[in-house]
Amino acid sequence: MSSGTAQKPYRRLSPLTPVARSGIFVVAVLTATWRDLLRGDLGPFGAVLLGLLIAGLVYGGASWLRTKYWIESDELRVDTGVIARQSRRIRIDRLQGVDIVQPFVARLFGLAELRMDVAGGSAREGSLAFLSLSDARELKDVLLSRRDAVRADSAPLPDADSDAGTDWRWVEPDRLLARVDLQLLLLSTLLTPEAFALILAGLGSMLVPLLVGDASGITVSLPLVGGLALVVFRKIAGSYRFTVSQTPAGLQVRRGLFELSSQTISLNRVQGVVLSEPLLWRRLGWARLDVSIAGYAASSDGEGGPSASTVLPVGDRELAMRLAQHVLSGTVLDQTVLTRPPKQARWVSPIGRRFMGFGTNESLTVSRTGWFNRRTNVVPHARVQSLRVTQGPLQRRLGLADMHVDSPPGPVTVRAQDRLATEARAILEQEIAVSRQARMPAGL
Amino acid sequence: MNDLFAPPGNSWRPVAPQLGTMRRLVLSASAVVGLVGIVVLHLILDLPTWLLVLAIAAVVTLAVLGWLVIGRNTRSWGYAERDEDLYIKHGATFRELIAVPYGRMQFVDITSGPLERAFGIASVRLHTASPGTSARIPGLPKEEAARLRDSLTSLGEAQAAGL
Repeated sequence: MSSGTAQKPYRRLSPLTPVARSGIFVVAVLTATWRDLLRGDLGPFGAVLLGLLIAGLVYGGASWLRTKYWIESDELRVDTGVIARQSRRIRIDRLQGVDIVQPFVARLFGLAELRMDVAGGSAREGSLAFLSLSDARELKDVLLSRRDAVRADSAPLPDADSDAGTDWRWVEPDRLLARVDLQLLLLSTLLTPEAFALILAGLGSMLVPLLVGDASGITVSLPLVGGLALVVFRKIAGSYRFTVSQTPAGLQVRRGLFELSSQTISLNRVQGVVLSEPLLWRRLGWARLDVSIAGYAASSDGEGGPSASTVLPVGDRELAMRLAQHVLSGTVLDQTVLTRPPKQARWVSPIGRRFMGFGTNESLTVSRTGWFNRRTNVVPHARVQSLRVTQGPLQRRLGLADMHVDSPPGPVTVRAQDRLATEARAILEQEIAVSRQARMPAGL
Repeated sequence: MNDLFAPPGNSWRPVAPQLGTMRRLVLSASAVVGLVGIVVLHLILDLPTWLLVLAIAAVVTLAVLGWLVIGRNTRSWGYAERDEDLYIKHGATFRELIAVPYGRMQFVDITSGPLERAFGIASVRLHTASPGTSARIPGLPKEEAARLRDSLTSLGEAQAAGL
């Protein structure tokens, strides 16, 4: 576009980006053609692949040349595009969170991707890939401190103070809240249904051919075992060296074996928490903690590993509780009294009834469900979006109803199931009033 | 359990009866199409008479049932505007009551398809940050829908609390 771009203090992505991007492709080309290559000539298949690889590298190089980013008047600007040029502006004060992710190939080159979570934007829009790890960290710090500065500016604060504030902030060390050691991670993964299925399938596929004397079943069972193994392995790899610490910008979650990820959650975006205690963990006093974060709904990676919402993949119940308390800004979870649905609820949920519970305290609504996987869902009154009462025909016969607490999308759902109809409506009316009160200070 | 879905104030405001008329028109039209289809099929394939009678009886029964269900469902809709929240209830067999604080509203939209326009009605829908909030009122007279939207929008702005 304009030739004046040279004067701007723009920066480029890491020059290794095209190489890292085509890294997987290089491996593919080599595996497909190594035999031909050893013989000294390139088969037709190899030639096509090599051509594609070179074209990819050239395009990647051009794309790298054309991609520039810089910070200008409280906006991060990113120019991209080889053929059609694009110019993105990301308002720094709108940044919800900045995460650093290192996919495996990028990690081999010491590169990292910076993912910016912009309110109302898609994931693609807020991504810079790849930067060198140190650049990514630096940019992240710059963005977050700028954001805080911009936000502080709009609040009535003297400039000198806010400057001093930012200086002081960088001195404060991160406070480690929780760490998952490998032993605990492995043991707890062993006690999940997936791991049990893996062991059973593995033993089965070994024993059955031995007993029957026919190994043809292997072709069926092997992919199954492989798939299960992959799921279990991803769980472990995803939560490897999991740490949670409190930083000035918010809660920081770091994890990963091959793909490293570091994620910052500002506490005022937390919409609720859910404590999961699977049956097999309960005896050992272990629990998992997830949070609902505004704007993070769709980003669970759904590949068996921990999702973006996980704050603690496994840990002592005590620790999980303390973490929940910290995330919910100090409200005590333990003191909430949960009550069970009435007797007649057994006609609707004969087994589930005994494990259901609902209760509120001065700042939270809490519900519990499940025997096999006990989930305790918590939404603060101040985060309640709307309230619903529903009643099916069978419930009407029994004089029962469900009360739902609607909160932003995420793993947390608070619901008072199968309560007495009169009670359900009373809870709704009370919650409407309480949540209005709780909302007030934030709104003003 | 009548008090579970009792109005928060004096009474529920009902939706326009045109909603029922419109739905019944759609139902009758599809029933007629079904009957014509059966007759055509009979003429082409020469179906046995008992099957023809059975099929026609089935369509007629479904249509009558649908007619009654539409009546019950249309009457079941109701809404009540309060100082700080909107209540909506609906459903005859599976009932639902929803309470949305104005301060939580993200936006309000009105939709009115060609058929709805022909009957002079529209639907108003409230959106909060939660996808669970299924706050929709179908079949409002056009002026009432516009009034409700404006009132909700201004109340929402005045009481906005965001997330």
